[in-house]
Amino acid sequence: MTSVCFYFEVHQPMRLNRFSVFNIGKTESPFDYFDNQLNEKIFHKVANKCYLPTNKLLLDLIDQHDKKFRISYSLTGTFIEYCQKHVPEIIDSFKDLVGTGAVDLIEETYFHSLSGLYTDLTEFEEQVYLHNSMLKDLFHVTPKVFRNTEAIYDNRIAKKVADMGYKGIITEGAKKILDWRSPNYVYKAVDNDIKVLLRNYMLSDDIGFRFSAQGWTGFPLTADKYSSWMAQNQGDLINLFMDYETFGEHHWQDTGIFEFLKHLPENVLNHEHMDFVTVRQAVERYEPRGTIDVPWAISWADEDRDVSTWLGNDMQRACFQELQDLGPQIKKEKNQKKLEAWRKLQTSDHLYYISTKGFEDGAVHSYFSHYDSPYDGFINYMNILQDFKQGMKPKP
Amino acid sequence: MKVAMIGWEYPPFKTGGLGTHCYGLTRGLADKNVDVDFYMPKTNKKAISDKDNLHIIEVGEASIYPYDRPEDSELEGNFFESVYRYNDLIVKKVNGKYDVIHCHDWLTMKAGVQLKEKLGVPLVVSVHSTEYDRSGWIYPNQWFIDIEKEGMEKADIIIAVSNFTKRILVEKYNIPEEKIHVVHNAVYRLGRGEKQDIVLFLGRLTIQKGPEFFLKAAKKILDHSDIKPTFVVAGKGEMLSRLINQSVDLGISQHIMFTGLLTEEEVEHIYRIARVYVMPSVSEPFGITALEAISAGTPVVVSKTAGVAEALTNCLRVDFWDVDEMANKIISLLKYDVLHSTISDEGEKECDLFTWDGVADETMQVYRGVI
Repeated sequence: MTSVCFYFEVHQPMRLNRFSVFNIGKTESPFDYFDNQLNEKIFHKVANKCYLPTNKLLLDLIDQHDKKFRISYSLTGTFIEYCQKHVPEIIDSFKDLVGTGAVDLIEETYFHSLSGLYTDLTEFEEQVYLHNSMLKDLFHVTPKVFRNTEAIYDNRIAKKVADMGYKGIITEGAKKILDWRSPNYVYKAVDNDIKVLLRNYMLSDDIGFRFSAQGWTGFPLTADKYSSWMAQNQGDLINLFMDYETFGEHHWQDTGIFEFLKHLPENVLNHEHMDFVTVRQAVERYEPRGTIDVPWAISWADEDRDVSTWLGNDMQRACFQELQDLGPQIKKEKNQKKLEAWRKLQTSDHLYYISTKGFEDGAVHSYFSHYDSPYDGFINYMNILQDFKQGMKPKP
Repeated sequence: MKVAMIGWEYPPFKTGGLGTHCYGLTRGLADKNVDVDFYMPKTNKKAISDKDNLHIIEVGEASIYPYDRPEDSELEGNFFESVYRYNDLIVKKVNGKYDVIHCHDWLTMKAGVQLKEKLGVPLVVSVHSTEYDRSGWIYPNQWFIDIEKEGMEKADIIIAVSNFTKRILVEKYNIPEEKIHVVHNAVYRLGRGEKQDIVLFLGRLTIQKGPEFFLKAAKKILDHSDIKPTFVVAGKGEMLSRLINQSVDLGISQHIMFTGLLTEEEVEHIYRIARVYVMPSVSEPFGITALEAISAGTPVVVSKTAGVAEALTNCLRVDFWDVDEMANKIISLLKYDVLHSTISDEGEKECDLFTWDGVADETMQVYRGVI
């Protein structure tokens, strides 16, 4: 039996207002950092193009296939807050999805942050707990599987997550950690027993990146063709992990992406040796076939599959350091508002916008950025961090 | 391939990007075994070539420069006459067998049009600036526009230095888009010097170059921050006295240094030692100076209405009128070392993409299309 494990990352960052050096020291509320107007506009757009129609389609598919079509989601805290504020019916539809029993939820840091890379992992742990209680409150779900921001993974993170009681963790099936081995099996971490689910990046990116690429040999991709590719794969498990916005936003409706999705379950289930599993079922059903050792952090991002997307240049590293250094002081102050703002500033996207990577990756970055250049992204973010820092200093 | 190229200036005599471009282009072409006869007015500094297949041919004498305006007092009456005289001389002087005639900007366009008829060979026209740019879009002079329009219409193909300029040619001169080929400028890399706390403006002191916005931004910076750099205004032009008065009125004159016209060596030196270069042009077809600055490791803050802003990735872009944002970006470059070093490193690397060899390749491509 080969199981298909379909999982979607659902995330929206809180984009920042224009903030010049002249604003430093003049902020009244740390929530003024966020560009509510832009954020609301983008959220409504994506909600209509992706979240609402895709949720509806998937719910129908689960019904049609008698819950044999199974999927998993990781919903970030910032995403949920957007829903609550602007389009609460998205939450209702996720509740309906979870209610089918064919949908599982995945744990992560509430703020989709890089706190897993901090020297001290206390903040990371706190953000995971926040996410955990959010899922419990809203969906009555306690996840068993964890996926760190953008699938960032190293031995230390795996150890921490195992210690926190999770049974599985998701990351990229990167060549550099697998070498000749296949991502289509469950592995275990190097110094504990947590099971590791590895993204099959060839098959995942066929949908995520290449679906509407007309120059690609697989174009046009049909559900039938794609299922037969999967059927030819050896192994226990095919992990298809991608941004939820793949459906309707990265690939617009007129590319046929929804038609593709609509016919995928039946085409997969037509192959007798294939079924669908949630991430929870995947770690329950399959035993590890080997160990993966990741001393340096990997991720699912860019060609490099490491953390250079967020920490690749000096500007990013300087911001990351400032951000991290603010932590102890903020926690001492016990100011809830500041703590929350600081955490929203930790969302990895703010560093992503500052990436200066060239060529193909750079083009992807600028597609997602609302800044004119990474330098503008840096100036804006750094100015805000400076303002935040000044606000922390004890008043004379 | 043999080209008759008609220009107006050539180093060591040059007043702007046109001279720099002609120098880089002719040498680049010569290196690709193209025979180039470069015609230009006689000047008191003799231009020479060390290449066998590149000849600099000086024709007559002219007392005006491509960026002069007829309203400049010392030229009164003389101006139009000199232009016609130079063009007539060129038409007489250029004979023999050429594959293509290539002329640069309005000054040479009349000659180009007549030579096309006389020799029966295709005409390529390069546009380094239009009357709209030079006037800063304030009262553009119809006399120039007519010459430019005629030259562009009669040309077999046009080279524009940017998409920004291409749009002006399409929208203001009604030139069909497909007739215009964009070739960005290039730079001979300068290399870095020991940086000092200098924020640099370098260019003609005219409306087009926006020096008054530079001073306004300087005022914002000096009022706001503890950093007190020296703001250097290098160049000469009709706005000089107005700018000096402006800096006094703003109360910042002790932080502003007006250098007047700098020599080539001085220009290179100041690019190397400046910490930030600012190009707040109202309308800049390209802006080679921005490339020169970044090739010396000096990050540039450039106007969005400049061709270089579309070509250079590693720069900071602003609206020329938005002095708050200009000040924000200049302060950020002075204050955040990581920003400065990243732009400067990445920008210097990016200069490898802007070579005269590449410009020559693209220009030859254009020639081949019409020969």
